[in-house]
Amino acid sequence: MRRYLYDGTVEGLLSAAARIIAEETEPETVFLGERQDTLFEEGFFVASDPAAADAFFRQLRRDAPDAASTFYYFVLAEREGLESSLLRYLVLALRYGDRVNGNLVDPAVRDVVTVSRKASRELHRFKGILRFEKLRDGAYLARMEPDHNILQPLALHFSRRLRAENWFIYDVRRRSAARWHQGSLQIGLIEQFTAPPLSPEERKIQALWQAFFRTIAIPDRRNPRLQRSNMPMKYWKYLTEKQGDAPD
Amino acid sequence: METLDKLQILSGAARYDASCASSGSRRERPSCGTGNTSQGGICHSWSDDGRCISLLKILLSNDCIYDCAYCVNRCSNPVPRASFTAREVVSLTMEFYRRNYIEGLFLSSAVMQSPDATMERMVRVAEMLCTGERFGGYIHLKIIPGSSSELVRRAGRCADRISVNIELPSQESLKRLAPQKGKQAILEPMALIGKEIGHSLVERKQSRKAPRFAPAGQSTQMIIGASPESDFQILRLSEGLYRKMNLRRVYYSAFVPVNQDNRLPALASPPLLREHRLYQADWLLRFYGFSVSEILSDDAPNLDESFDPKTAWALRHPEFFPVEINRSDYATLLRVPGIGVLSARRIIAARRFSPVTPEGLKKIGVVMKRAKYFITCSGQPFEKVDPQPALLRSRLLIGDGAGEVVPEPPRQLLLPGLIA
Repeated sequence: MRRYLYDGTVEGLLSAAARIIAEETEPETVFLGERQDTLFEEGFFVASDPAAADAFFRQLRRDAPDAASTFYYFVLAEREGLESSLLRYLVLALRYGDRVNGNLVDPAVRDVVTVSRKASRELHRFKGILRFEKLRDGAYLARMEPDHNILQPLALHFSRRLRAENWFIYDVRRRSAARWHQGSLQIGLIEQFTAPPLSPEERKIQALWQAFFRTIAIPDRRNPRLQRSNMPMKYWKYLTEKQGDAPD
Repeated sequence: METLDKLQILSGAARYDASCASSGSRRERPSCGTGNTSQGGICHSWSDDGRCISLLKILLSNDCIYDCAYCVNRCSNPVPRASFTAREVVSLTMEFYRRNYIEGLFLSSAVMQSPDATMERMVRVAEMLCTGERFGGYIHLKIIPGSSSELVRRAGRCADRISVNIELPSQESLKRLAPQKGKQAILEPMALIGKEIGHSLVERKQSRKAPRFAPAGQSTQMIIGASPESDFQILRLSEGLYRKMNLRRVYYSAFVPVNQDNRLPALASPPLLREHRLYQADWLLRFYGFSVSEILSDDAPNLDESFDPKTAWALRHPEFFPVEINRSDYATLLRVPGIGVLSARRIIAARRFSPVTPEGLKKIGVVMKRAKYFITCSGQPFEKVDPQPALLRSRLLIGDGAGEVVPEPPRQLLLPGLIA
């Protein structure tokens, strides 16, 4: 089996895939992995080539738009070690078009689709459970610790929804932040984060929300297990309504 | 009274409304202002009873002139009363929405003075949000039975969804438990809304600038277990509402006793299992191509509590099975217990590449625990099961590991004399 290596970036991955598909006769059987720079590493290293990567992704988006979006979410998942499956998936996507996502019986397709679906599911969840707090200067700040790197698509969602406000979304684990200021969106890394002071009325609004959250539940139908399965406890850390709430 | 106290009273009074959907309406990019809606809806939290919170669900007032037996807000109940001003509701909605607590507003109300006076105040809140604040989020307005058609039209123009609660599944029960609400007062606005939605859809096909009328459709709700109707009657009513009135959803709400009243049955606990089975049957009507007459009949008017309605149907129709996974069409696959809409679609998509194997079925997400008794895979059966329905029933109930104890499902108590 032929072995190929790439530099670990998305661009590198796309460049390698483009090259392999162009040159190999049976690209779906090739091994592709990230270069580790160990002494005994075997394989042919494909350098990152922005132009080739861009052209390849355009082609994918034209021939199989659903597969291109599956690829996008797969990248957000930051999963390592599935490059060979991804390569096979891309080969099949170019061959069959969007129908490829139906081929769940193929292990490579299933792996890629499953990982990608998890990322898109978490993105959807965070559209709901992200919580903003109003700061003293009138802007809003939300902190989160998602499993997948969903900051960019999440920020795009809020740039449509809360376009009249100024806000930040901060991914605590990845130290990355999105900033929406007067109608333009920036995404970048933050070296040091200090929580800015809250606006004076913020605690009052939070208390209103917490009161609503308590009274909207019907006591005769209490069901903490269902609550946790819909809203896992790992997300409670930044939920306004779950602050100071001991888990049952 | 402080806003906090009002909020507690008026959200506590609104919690028995089941609908919290924020789906079905799509305004991706508002030109200005705050808020949009998404086609699939977004849940923002889940309360301690496990139900999703998507909308700020409150009453405008709980100060009611009616005296419905089942309702916590009836005028003879000694509960604290409160009313929001329109400004309070608008500012709560906007503050909550900007912090991403909610997807929008669900506004209902007790009947103050008269249906029209109440409806007028509710519509004004929605109009203040839409035009005053340029709010683009989701709005669900409850229609008070008996309001004038002009107010219903105004409500439909600013809300995404409007709904009239049918409350009880028959006219007799309505007369007995909610004497001030008439059947006509409920069905008239419902028919009007259905007609207006139809008109608006036609107009919007001709011009994209035509005004929308309740783009997320209309829904309704009825209380289950407060009156003696059978599941057959209830589902026949729902089927009629879906077919004739074009409703998006019918909600079933298990009766929670909040009042002492000798017209109401005494229940040990709310009939949650019955509610669940009704929802399952409702899904069979809307997504699985079943009709009520297939699910229930006059001889067996109530849903089986130990099996879901689809498994119960499959047990009554052994001649339909086994179904061959690699050849049957979509409608046939949907009738197999353990195969849902998603699995059926995935099976069809996967078959285009290669025959689906038993291993592949599991990966696709088919619930094999139930499906294995009803299917063959490329001609191979999964289980050598005696086709005797009685045996199959027990296998399905107990599962493969024998010895598990199946808990006795809670049964609904009925007072003698309730069933005439």
